[in-house]
Amino acid sequence: MRNRNGVRAIRPYLYVLPIILFAVGFVYYPFLKTFLYSFSTVNVKGEITGFAGLDNYAYLFGRREFQAALRNTLVLTAVNVPITLLIASFLASLCVKERPLSPVYETMFALPMAISMAAIALVFRVLLNPTVGFVNHALNLSIGWFEDRNTALFSIVLLTVWMGIGFNFLLFLSAFRAIPAQVIEAARLDGANAAQLLFRVRLPLAVPTVVYAAATNAILALMTNGPIMILTQGGPSRATVTLIYMMYTSGYNSSNYSLAACISICTFLLALCLTLLLLRLEKKKVSYE
Amino acid sequence: MKRSMRDALIQAFCLLLGLFVVFPLIYGALGAFKTPSEFSRVPPTVFPDSFRNFDNFRAVFEKAPMARYFLNSLITSTVSSLVRLVFAALAAYAFAFFEFPGKKPLFILVLGTMMLPAETITVTNYQTVSALRLTDHYLGIMIVSFVGASQMFMLRARFASTPRALREAAMLDGCSDLRFLLFVLLPVSRPVLVTLFLQSFIAQWNSYLWPLLVTNHDEMRTVQVGITMLTAPEATNYETILAGATVALIPALILFLVSRRKLSDSMSGGSLVG
Amino acid sequence: MKKLLIAMMILSLLAPACAFAQQEPVRIVFWHSATEDAGELMAGYIDTFNRTIGAEKGIQVEAVFQGSYSDSVSKMRSILSAGNLEELPDLMQLDATGKVAYQTAENAYTIDKAMADHPEADFSSFLAPAMDNWKLSGEQLGLPFATSTTVTYYNKSLIGQAPDTLSDIANLAGSVEVPEDGCIYACVPNTPTLANWIGQLGGYVVDRKNGSEGMATRLDCLEDGTLQAFLTEWKALYASGALKNVASSTDEFVAGKQLIMTSSSSSVNAMLEKIGGAFELGVAAYPRVSDEAQMGATVSGSCLVMFDQGDARKEAAWELLNYLTGADVQADFAAGTGYLPSSSDAAESAVWQDLIAGNPIFNVGYEQILSTPPAMCSVTVGPSADFYYAIQNDVSEMLDQDLSPEEAVELMEEDLGGLLDQYAKANG
Repeated sequence: MRNRNGVRAIRPYLYVLPIILFAVGFVYYPFLKTFLYSFSTVNVKGEITGFAGLDNYAYLFGRREFQAALRNTLVLTAVNVPITLLIASFLASLCVKERPLSPVYETMFALPMAISMAAIALVFRVLLNPTVGFVNHALNLSIGWFEDRNTALFSIVLLTVWMGIGFNFLLFLSAFRAIPAQVIEAARLDGANAAQLLFRVRLPLAVPTVVYAAATNAILALMTNGPIMILTQGGPSRATVTLIYMMYTSGYNSSNYSLAACISICTFLLALCLTLLLLRLEKKKVSYE
Repeated sequence: MKRSMRDALIQAFCLLLGLFVVFPLIYGALGAFKTPSEFSRVPPTVFPDSFRNFDNFRAVFEKAPMARYFLNSLITSTVSSLVRLVFAALAAYAFAFFEFPGKKPLFILVLGTMMLPAETITVTNYQTVSALRLTDHYLGIMIVSFVGASQMFMLRARFASTPRALREAAMLDGCSDLRFLLFVLLPVSRPVLVTLFLQSFIAQWNSYLWPLLVTNHDEMRTVQVGITMLTAPEATNYETILAGATVALIPALILFLVSRRKLSDSMSGGSLVG
Repeated sequence: MKKLLIAMMILSLLAPACAFAQQEPVRIVFWHSATEDAGELMAGYIDTFNRTIGAEKGIQVEAVFQGSYSDSVSKMRSILSAGNLEELPDLMQLDATGKVAYQTAENAYTIDKAMADHPEADFSSFLAPAMDNWKLSGEQLGLPFATSTTVTYYNKSLIGQAPDTLSDIANLAGSVEVPEDGCIYACVPNTPTLANWIGQLGGYVVDRKNGSEGMATRLDCLEDGTLQAFLTEWKALYASGALKNVASSTDEFVAGKQLIMTSSSSSVNAMLEKIGGAFELGVAAYPRVSDEAQMGATVSGSCLVMFDQGDARKEAAWELLNYLTGADVQADFAAGTGYLPSSSDAAESAVWQDLIAGNPIFNVGYEQILSTPPAMCSVTVGPSADFYYAIQNDVSEMLDQDLSPEEAVELMEEDLGGLLDQYAKANG
């Protein structure tokens, strides 16, 4: 009986052990290590050789590449989030009412969420190629897209927005469909047009969804790296260097682990602040209503 | 009459927009049938001269062990999604049904992982996996994705919503906790499980940076890494690039088309997680 | 040899008993970065090796394409930093950015070590500048495999005569008709191109002879004014309107939209194919930075280095190394790509001689390597990737933001110097 009680006492811990073990080993431990690295001198073998205080951060903030990376990442986030939300919510508002062809176009709108970043990046590379690509020809433009430093970051945004449409569209669609039909009907009777319906009725009623979508998109945008690795390698002349890309090149290509760690910590703090900010906004918004 | 007219117009408009959204995919798939010389044509075309030109697809499979890449992606995506779900379900069960000292801190410990984006810890995680001699192993590719905090959160909510009486009755019948979880709780939670699995699978299938870091041998690479290795950044073999991209898209695409309804239905329950 | 014979005899006697063991050849791994034309040739060489020498000597090579040189070097670095030496290949195609990391590998089986094991080896026919390029602090790390140098490609149909100096390029602005949305010359200098132009002025980018004699710790081109001299010329070129401040694009050059391109000699063949007779391709020596400068450009490309993964595999890697750097493969590889034969043996072969007799543009790079002053050598620094991009970005920024050459020098001193300092601090 005593033995059974013993088993019963540790049983809950056995159930949570696997997830805790891996959370500690592959999330918290590396994070702690990253944190330590950022305050240490670390050699190419990843061994801590001394305490560096804030030297690494001071060096990082002074590096022009970091300034560019920070600026690019913030611009990317600031442009990407509203555009993605706008497009996704607009598409969703078109689809709220179920029509015979709904399944067809809803699937089309949602499709980008199933597409791998690597594959679509390669397609965009050809699509936006200034010489052989279709877009320049079709729109009669001579834009360098990924190759011109003035348009490269914008082209990356184009790609990341496209990648985000599907998921956010579904998110907004289900949020909009949950809004009682009478509310929409009443607004219509008040003479609200489609735009007013979206901005004055649907979006305000879906604040939690908007905040959730904004937060997930913002974090995704802050972590932008894959398209940079595949398409631009941070170029031309630092125009598309992002924080995580710089972290990757400093840590992995140049074995400068302390610098990579500093960038990680900065990116983490940015993500944290953004999330907290959005949560606060949500609280305010919700409590006003 | 006017109403149905409006509906038809909206549908036509939506279809047009939909085509616009999926245009890059269509363009990629069509381009995969082109010959190199069609790419240097001025003005550039969208449609290939012939849909019978499978040379590029053949080249993709000849140049690289594409079949092996698919197998690797399939194995790692399936297994890691399953393990993730199992771990999440076990923890969710404990958090839903047991009372134990430290429950709250442990719960927060698991959920806290959501605050630490995987990208920011890739370099140090790479060191760990490398020190464990797990590079070029399936386990090395999968090991960092076993923790699914949001999955755990979803399942805990699902489990907690099952009537307590159900568990008590089962316990009286001599059913153990594990049996109850396996044979009662999981079957009734199937819709949620399927959705969580699909999301997890698509995310794993499409992951790029991590598999790139931990694989050195061709035969261990995943599809996403493999297709970017078909070509150098400055190379101009666009037709091969597009054929590779098209081939890599297909499985996740099929899975998505098959399960689209399920995915979007589950969104209303708010259960869609990254 | 005798021992091997005896061993073979014993083996053949035991053959029925251990048929299994005999079927088990020595497996070695070869990492390479050859793509397109070079990639296809490489696949062919490995295949031939496995079927002939490999089959004979019981060696099976697994060739793994590891992406670009920098991807491959990153992979090596990260394995080294984790200490998982057995994950390294037996043979690896390495470019200049990987030299420092390779030398730190505990199981680096350098050519010097291999030659101690194989006193009969004779590499005297290899081109001295190509050999020297793979030497670090006096140690011969690898053997040149894909040897190239930077040359000038120009649209002969439109320009007629090759530019000799940067100011010749500048003078083309206005005198030659530039195609719509096109340019005369596009380039963003990086480590090797800067080393070329600084070297032509008799300087070094970093100390210890561009890091070839030990870990570079500071910029060398500041005090002697060579950096500023180059930047001044570069700015003048930009001001003339002949230079577009973007990386040159083979697509644009081939399409006739860019008239001059400085690029590796290794793409002569690919270039000819892509142009397909649309215009006449000219190839000339690398432009001189100014009238006072000497001519020439450093050796670029890649070498083959070995790792010690046990005696049998070491021996097998040595076989493969000798095969790939042998005269036959070198001549064939050169003829199929535009890379240069790494040895005089290969250069004297009929394949190469026929090629350059038929099309002398293939020989431009080879001649250039032979006439480049021996003091000009490529740059070896610890933070090689960051260094490369920092040079590109800083030079490009000078033009974009209209900084004076003096300001750009300061900028580079801070940026590049900072990289060297940081590296020395952590790894000194």
